[in-house]
Amino acid sequence: MRRVIILLLTQVLLWALLAELNHGLSGWQVHVFGGALFVVYPALYLGRKEGLLVAAWAGLLCDAHSPVAFGTHGLLFAAAHLLLFRARERVPRHDPVSQILVVLFTNLALFLGLSLFRLLVAPAPGGAWGRLLPDLVASQVTLALGAVWFLGLQDRLVRLGDVWAALRGHRD
Amino acid sequence: MPFKRISQANPLLTLGLIVAAWLLLPTAVKTVARASFFELTAPVTLAASRVRDLQDFWALRARSRTELIEAGRDLARVNASFELAVQQNGELRAEVARLEELLRLSPLRDHRLEHARVARRDFSGWWQRIVIRKGRDHEIPVGAPVVFSGGVVGRVSEVHATTAVVELISSPTMRLAGVVEGDTRPISFQGGVNPTLAPPRGVVELMPLDIIASPAVPKRLVTAGFGGVFPPGLTLGTIIRADLASDGLFKSGEVALDPRLGTLTEVSVLVPVAPASAPVRATP
Repeated sequence: MRRVIILLLTQVLLWALLAELNHGLSGWQVHVFGGALFVVYPALYLGRKEGLLVAAWAGLLCDAHSPVAFGTHGLLFAAAHLLLFRARERVPRHDPVSQILVVLFTNLALFLGLSLFRLLVAPAPGGAWGRLLPDLVASQVTLALGAVWFLGLQDRLVRLGDVWAALRGHRD
Repeated sequence: MPFKRISQANPLLTLGLIVAAWLLLPTAVKTVARASFFELTAPVTLAASRVRDLQDFWALRARSRTELIEAGRDLARVNASFELAVQQNGELRAEVARLEELLRLSPLRDHRLEHARVARRDFSGWWQRIVIRKGRDHEIPVGAPVVFSGGVVGRVSEVHATTAVVELISSPTMRLAGVVEGDTRPISFQGGVNPTLAPPRGVVELMPLDIIASPAVPKRLVTAGFGGVFPPGLTLGTIIRADLASDGLFKSGEVALDPRLGTLTEVSVLVPVAPASAPVRATP
């Protein structure tokens, strides 16, 4: 449970950072979507239930700030978590390059999934891709640059939590 | 442990069970959960906004006194012209009230201006929204129009304890009635696809055939005032292109919206007031 709480706090940090980034980019009509960062670490390193809880919680957090049916992000993130969890034994998950590739592919899938959900209700779905493709490129570039840092931060905080718990247990 | 065995065997089955459970969850529970998640993170949004304000404050403190004196002089000139406009506005209001009484018309809907700082802008290809730093605590209602010096910003779509969410007119799902300035025939306006590195855009439909608009001869599009939400005459944008629609009965076209929509820092919410109350006033 300690690991889950630590990761939930990092999810809030990530959400706030992305919100600030998008606030700053709004003048250029550019939007960065970083959904994969909410999902990848829990799916690669946590247990099935713990990871699912963290991913779904992050999804609901994103849902609360988006004009989509509540649960859309949650279900997409949960689906991404379950698929990644199943494939994680076949991925060299401690290699930074592999981590970046996993983040990029997951983000691509989540972006397309969310776009399909949105375009179902959009008045002119055809023209929307002219805007969505530059957003996707911006998102992938940002994630390629920042994914290792964020995954490293999550890993470091989880390890610190483990050490703190071990020291506390030793003292008791 | 049968669920555990199933979930380990097939993740898609697990996902299907989660989706089914989610769909069966009562709407009230989802509504409460959504509001709770929003309110839980509202302090983060507000804190970030306050930090930005502080940054601006210290940046302004670095300005020289000469610059401040010049800015004060320019502001005094603007204030003088606005004071004159306020006097003329008062006279026109009195005239409108006199005519309403004479012709026994129902009075126009009155509003008070509630100024609010923009806490967060969220402009994606899917939606265009801002979060403002006033909510139920300032009696902001859902559906209230939001304006700025360049015209209409959008409409309040969600109201929370200390914040409110405004859907912008550039949002693809935003639709409202407008008229070309000087014309009375309604036109359907809708937020459009907002291209990257370009000002926001909208589209118009059901435009009469005799209205001609092009980049050389743009037409100002204003709110029609139908439906009672937006007062008439507020600027929506400029029609820069109008072509014959596929049905041949109307024209459709493109609207250039104010480029400042992308960098809004302060807006005003038009909060409806009861007809018997005081006229438009600004609250600090």
